[in-house]
Amino acid sequence: MFLYNFKYELKLLLRSQWIQLLSIVLLLLFGFSAYSGKGKVAKREADIAAAHNEVKESDQVMLQLLDSIEKGIKVNARPWTTPNKPMAVGNYYPRVAAMTPQPLAFVATGQADLFTHYIKPTVSGDDFALNFTEMTSPVQLLFGNFDLAFVVVYLLPLLIIAFSYNVLSSEKESGSLRLLASQPIDIRKWVLQKLVLRFFWLSILVLISLLLVFAFLNINWSSIITILPGLFTLILSYMLFWFALSFLVNLFVDSSAKNAISLLGLWVLFVLLVPSILNQLGTTLYPMPSRTLMINQMRSLKADATKKQDKILDNFLRDHPEYAINDSTQTRGFYHNYMASQKLVKEELQPVIKSYETQLRKQQYWLARLKWISPAVTVQESLNKMAGTSTEDYQQFRKQVIAFAETWRGFLTPFLYNNQKFSSKDYPKIPAFNYAPKEHNNTWVTISMGVCSVLLFVLGLLITRKQMITSIT
Amino acid sequence: MITTHNLTKTYNEQTALDRLNLQVNEGEIYCLLGANGAGKTTTINLLLGFISPSSGNAFINNIEVSKNTKETKKFLAYIPENLMLYPNLTALENLDYFSGIAQKKLSKKDLVSFLTEAGLQEKAFNKRISSFSKGMRQKVGIAIALAKDAKVLLLDEPTSGLDPKASNEFGRLLGKLSKKGVATLMATHDLFRAKEIATNIGIMKDGQLKEEFIANHISLPDLENTYLDTMNFKEAVL
Repeated sequence: MFLYNFKYELKLLLRSQWIQLLSIVLLLLFGFSAYSGKGKVAKREADIAAAHNEVKESDQVMLQLLDSIEKGIKVNARPWTTPNKPMAVGNYYPRVAAMTPQPLAFVATGQADLFTHYIKPTVSGDDFALNFTEMTSPVQLLFGNFDLAFVVVYLLPLLIIAFSYNVLSSEKESGSLRLLASQPIDIRKWVLQKLVLRFFWLSILVLISLLLVFAFLNINWSSIITILPGLFTLILSYMLFWFALSFLVNLFVDSSAKNAISLLGLWVLFVLLVPSILNQLGTTLYPMPSRTLMINQMRSLKADATKKQDKILDNFLRDHPEYAINDSTQTRGFYHNYMASQKLVKEELQPVIKSYETQLRKQQYWLARLKWISPAVTVQESLNKMAGTSTEDYQQFRKQVIAFAETWRGFLTPFLYNNQKFSSKDYPKIPAFNYAPKEHNNTWVTISMGVCSVLLFVLGLLITRKQMITSIT
Repeated sequence: MITTHNLTKTYNEQTALDRLNLQVNEGEIYCLLGANGAGKTTTINLLLGFISPSSGNAFINNIEVSKNTKETKKFLAYIPENLMLYPNLTALENLDYFSGIAQKKLSKKDLVSFLTEAGLQEKAFNKRISSFSKGMRQKVGIAIALAKDAKVLLLDEPTSGLDPKASNEFGRLLGKLSKKGVATLMATHDLFRAKEIATNIGIMKDGQLKEEFIANHISLPDLENTYLDTMNFKEAVL
């Protein structure tokens, strides 16, 4: 039976105008979404490149100024910005800490429209918690992103529903089911084979469409070749899940209209309702403290610290005897006080930031535990991880930037407290930021979804014997 | 070939088929006559194993249908009132598909010979079924039965809606199959066709087999009168 189903299913699909239209729609959706994603990544890369160029140009200026200062030539710059002052270097010549897009970044926008991709940490800047807050346009948030992940998670199930909702019911409605059922075959297995074959041909169509789109968009194959199998198997396991649901609906429900409505109901449930309910429950159970309140608290703590700067500096120097100077001709200026107060400010800010982050973590933990209820959430998250745009990726970037900011301060603070000038000889020692992307493994997601789909198929075969009889007569 | 012993089917309180005893032997064509709701299609559904009997037994080729439905289907072919095949496949492809899933591997030459034997014109072999008339589709149905080498043929009002020529042709095809030893059970409203092609005729009413004749032993007017009497149509008209 399988060989004949295999042979004729393809013929029937190729001769169906509806399926031909569906294929063109699929190709167009993949093409447009990937193109749109690629455009966003290109903009992100251009922004990062512009920031690097800006640093390069300002470094040229810095080196010229240093050269002039070292040669005793008077320079035309405001005194507090001349690069021989370590704090001027730290504030006016910062490095770029950029989160370079990963090879599959165009697949899923993820959190990329919420967070910034590069930061120039300065020695006297705000705490980096502030730099990682939402920056997106509310209009963009309202309409969402039309990326490949959106097509896969939201639209592909609809195409699968259109492709499979009436496999059995159309036979019943056209009258051919009775003829089929009079053959020595098990109709449930026949439906299973038809759906497996449709899954097979749709998978081929999806893979070819994706490869064509990637080729058309001139994607760098060498960078994605190792990730592609993971991406494709994830998409296929998600498709298999929808085919498994379609199998159950085909067996349980008996008319095309009811099948379509049932499957659309499941789509609404898994793709729209469950993610939304999980999100709402997360925010209800673990409400986030007010960000405005947090920022106000941070500002008032900073203001308090500024008032106590003299005392703070004394304490700081007591803790750091290496910075104590015996030369009474040298004085302590604004930055000595300021940098000494940073540690205290940081310590005092900790509880405020921590309470905010703890709630955020609880929310994320809640979602991580319950995401399995909706394959749509799971697949979206996995695609974000593959694209390097997941929440975890941005948290990783944030940690690395905070660490780099410490390195940047740590590099320049000794110059300040040792009252040492920054010179062109020190320039090559300036630290640089290198983003290390987080490693993700989606194998379990793919395997779990595949196993879950197979179980649904088995469940359908085991419990629908009676439904079949009703279906035929 | 086809045997039923007190075959009964009830739905809730309603009896659709009441203790039917039937025997159709090799080479016989048994026509079941009766009004709508008489139990003809229920009988065919029970013989096909689409529904389970409430009591009694049905046998195809001496195998009990309800106990071994899949096995009995190997021996039978079924042509419903509206034979629907795959409209986007040609006659040859439909025949290849249906004989293939019935585990009959046939060469193209065999397929062509079955379609020819079923009386389909050669120019229609490679045409899509969507362009076929009902009569042409019935011929493909017969070809499927021939290809399957069926011992039993179950027909559910196969001539309704056929023009007289196509109906006559269909009757002749059944005659040919009968000579090959196929046992045929045909549910129909068509008294004339039943008298013409059947070896045995049964009249059903309210799920019961009320009358049974050997077709040669009854004339068409007598058959018609008996049918109307059985159905109480004469009283209704008077």
